Amino acid sequence: MLKESLISEFQKIVGKDNVLTAPEAMKAYSYDGTTSWIHEPDVVIFPTTTDEVSRIMKLANAEKIPVTPRGGGTNVSGGSVPWHGGIVLAMTRMNKILKIDKENLTATVEPGVVLQDLTLRLMKDGLFFPPDPQSFLGATMGGIISENAGGPACVKYGVTKQYILGIEVVLPTGEVVHLGGRTLKNVVGYDLLHIFISAEGTLGVITSAELKLNPLPLAKKTLCVVYDDVAVAGESVYHVLENGVIPDKIELIDNWVINRIEEMMPIGLPKDADACLLFEVDGIPEAVEKEAEKIAEITKKYGAKEVRVAKDADDANKYWMARRAGFAAVFGKAKTVFAEDVTVPRGNIPKLINRCKELAKKYNLEIVVLGHAGDGNLHPAILTDINNKDHYDRALKAMDAIIEGAVEFGGVLSGEHGIGLEKQKFMKKVTEPAVINMMKNIKALIDPNNIMNPGKIWE
Amino acid sequence: MKDLKELKKIEEFSNQCMKCGFCSFFCPVYQEEKMETSVARGKNFLVKQILAGNQEFTPEMADIIGKCLLCKRCAANCPAKTQIDRVVVGARAQLVKEKGLGAIKNFAFRKVMANRKAFGKYARLMQKFQWMMPTTEGKIKHLPDFVKGLGKRNFPSLSKTFLRDQVKPVYKPQNGEKPKMRVGFFMGCATDFVYPELGLKLIDFLTRHGVEVVVPEDQNCCGAAIYFSGDLETGRMLADLNIKAFKDLNVDYIVTACGTCSSTLKDYQKYLPDTEEQKERYTEFEKKIKDSTEFVIDILKIPPQDFKLRKEFEGKTVTWHDPCHLVRYQNIKDQPRAILKALKGIKYVEMPNADMCCGMGGSFSVYHYDLTKKIAGKKMDGIKATGADIVVTACPGCMINLIDNVLLNKMPQKVHHFLELVE
Repeated sequence: MLKESLISEFQKIVGKDNVLTAPEAMKAYSYDGTTSWIHEPDVVIFPTTTDEVSRIMKLANAEKIPVTPRGGGTNVSGGSVPWHGGIVLAMTRMNKILKIDKENLTATVEPGVVLQDLTLRLMKDGLFFPPDPQSFLGATMGGIISENAGGPACVKYGVTKQYILGIEVVLPTGEVVHLGGRTLKNVVGYDLLHIFISAEGTLGVITSAELKLNPLPLAKKTLCVVYDDVAVAGESVYHVLENGVIPDKIELIDNWVINRIEEMMPIGLPKDADACLLFEVDGIPEAVEKEAEKIAEITKKYGAKEVRVAKDADDANKYWMARRAGFAAVFGKAKTVFAEDVTVPRGNIPKLINRCKELAKKYNLEIVVLGHAGDGNLHPAILTDINNKDHYDRALKAMDAIIEGAVEFGGVLSGEHGIGLEKQKFMKKVTEPAVINMMKNIKALIDPNNIMNPGKIWE
Repeated sequence: MKDLKELKKIEEFSNQCMKCGFCSFFCPVYQEEKMETSVARGKNFLVKQILAGNQEFTPEMADIIGKCLLCKRCAANCPAKTQIDRVVVGARAQLVKEKGLGAIKNFAFRKVMANRKAFGKYARLMQKFQWMMPTTEGKIKHLPDFVKGLGKRNFPSLSKTFLRDQVKPVYKPQNGEKPKMRVGFFMGCATDFVYPELGLKLIDFLTRHGVEVVVPEDQNCCGAAIYFSGDLETGRMLADLNIKAFKDLNVDYIVTACGTCSSTLKDYQKYLPDTEEQKERYTEFEKKIKDSTEFVIDILKIPPQDFKLRKEFEGKTVTWHDPCHLVRYQNIKDQPRAILKALKGIKYVEMPNADMCCGMGGSFSVYHYDLTKKIAGKKMDGIKATGADIVVTACPGCMINLIDNVLLNKMPQKVHHFLELVE
């Protein structure tokens, strides 16, 4: 519990309506998008200016109160859960799009801007922000930058860090700094900007960001390619790429997911298929047509059973709705779900898929495979029940083995979700001690009192 | 252990939520307040805490559960298909069970609205005193200055003669031929007291198209405000009275001009049953209910050329506002557009946020008028963007709120029920 006098200090800074202390509100800020990481803060504060954030941080630093920044709370790593209580800094009311610069293809935004709101606004100017985490309906820019979020479109466009030119950050001491800038090229000293991107809110509070934008592609086309063997689908991915076509999305859904989607929202996916790949190509209309033809030709050559081309935008949208519903399908079918985020070099996707299948058999579990096949980022999901000890233990073992497998195949523990609380116990296993030490030293340098989102990334 | 009967009934819906937070994008209340207790995910999490014994129905909790428009935009877009409306209504029902309704709602729901005669008596009394309220324009009045604390709210005056005092028990088809169908007319309170001409228009329209219309005197309030506030007991009483009123009339359908009434009558089976017998009876009743928009298109199948525009609307540009109770509660969105597009002499323009809630939410606007105005403000932006002269809808509740906000925003648009546009 925080002292009454401190609460009234915070109220003086942001106004009474921007400070919550009711027990009900604390419960409502105790979770994120994960199932089991829950911890209540002592107070929720909604700043609306950089100056307010700075004054809050100075006070928190002097009193050594933990501060956890939070946007839409859609993250799936436990990252925005206030693990040591203290302050949740809810950035949702700091949500203005400050500037759209069509000439330089940039935008300046506050951290509470929801990605979908940005997308809809940019569309009016024929622009878009390419990274597309699938939580775009709730995810805010501050969180997207802090988690270095990715999404299906990373095959062609890359992840968030490639689209952030600069940020304004309030350091844990309350000092305001500007990292990066507004230019595409920038080699002025150490690249500190990229230490803050993917820091999961452990180094400071992002209060504005300069985004790099792309012009909206003029045309898009979606293909649904059907396979008898999920591993063959995995191989198709690099066959398409090595033949010179770079789709903006290549998504994989396996037989189990296909069938759950068909139960939830029947759209005529082939229920007997072992897997489907969803491709999207975008760009100039003529190029899009050619690329779609090429994908059909190559996938058929390398073992696809059937190629379906979406007739129009509505038809295409159906497939992508289904893909998005995939996760809901998984979470709706089990008491507890481990949603993995392992990522391997693209060519090793078939190996990783086969490993998941073997493990499912070995531990007698349902392991569902879906994910961004195009960039090697898979989300194998293990369905289990935390209340069934035997089953849960087997699921834990399988999860360990999947992560070991990913590392063995040259991959990493997390592609886009981050470490947060969820992946902490694997962090040490897969990271060199000297590297962890370096990270800890950076953290101590910037946050001497360890008040920024404590308890995350390291155990 | 506390008796959590009403919450137990909705526990399975509550468990559907996987906390993805996508609801935040669709929630009109969250869009204004930007805090987690405003949105479905937060409310649902707290309801689960009550079920787990970690949370009581504190005044704050009651406020959180109350601050929902039940517009169902979140539910309609939920990837996990969580029926959050049922969770909210269930939580309100549990609250009423534990803490009672409170004096004002108890009087309004149980002593006034639950009894048709009493409701009529009180409405008449109010009608007699409404001369005290200043006129904004035409039939629209607003609160006098000395109660300005309640906001400068505009509302249509209560009619001099209520619909119940103008209708006959039976109307034969106007062509004198054998009726092709016999329907019961459910008037609903707003039509009865505020817009009686809508009821007469509907009867006229139906009888002109070969339908026989019966108007049972024993019908009551549909119960929307009552059961959506959690008073399921009075809701069931009204459901039973309404079912009884139409039971022996041998009607093919029951039609109403109010989108909220049609949805409320259809959904007795969803929100109210306590027993299997009730569930069956309410489900049986649901099959007969038709909203006026869906009835003329889906049942009467009136061809486009047979819709005739009333002279006074010629040359106007119109747009359609989707009432929540039509577009999401009943999936009625194409029918009203088909009618408007069929009308020769007007130009139809689609509103960018046509399906956004107007902010009324029944008693929500009584307790959270400031939020109602902000939410309605966004609706007004959509209306302005269309450049329309007329906003058309099919729910008197929406009409009342849209009129208030059009006037507050000093906009030139007029608000009409689709029945007012057709001959």
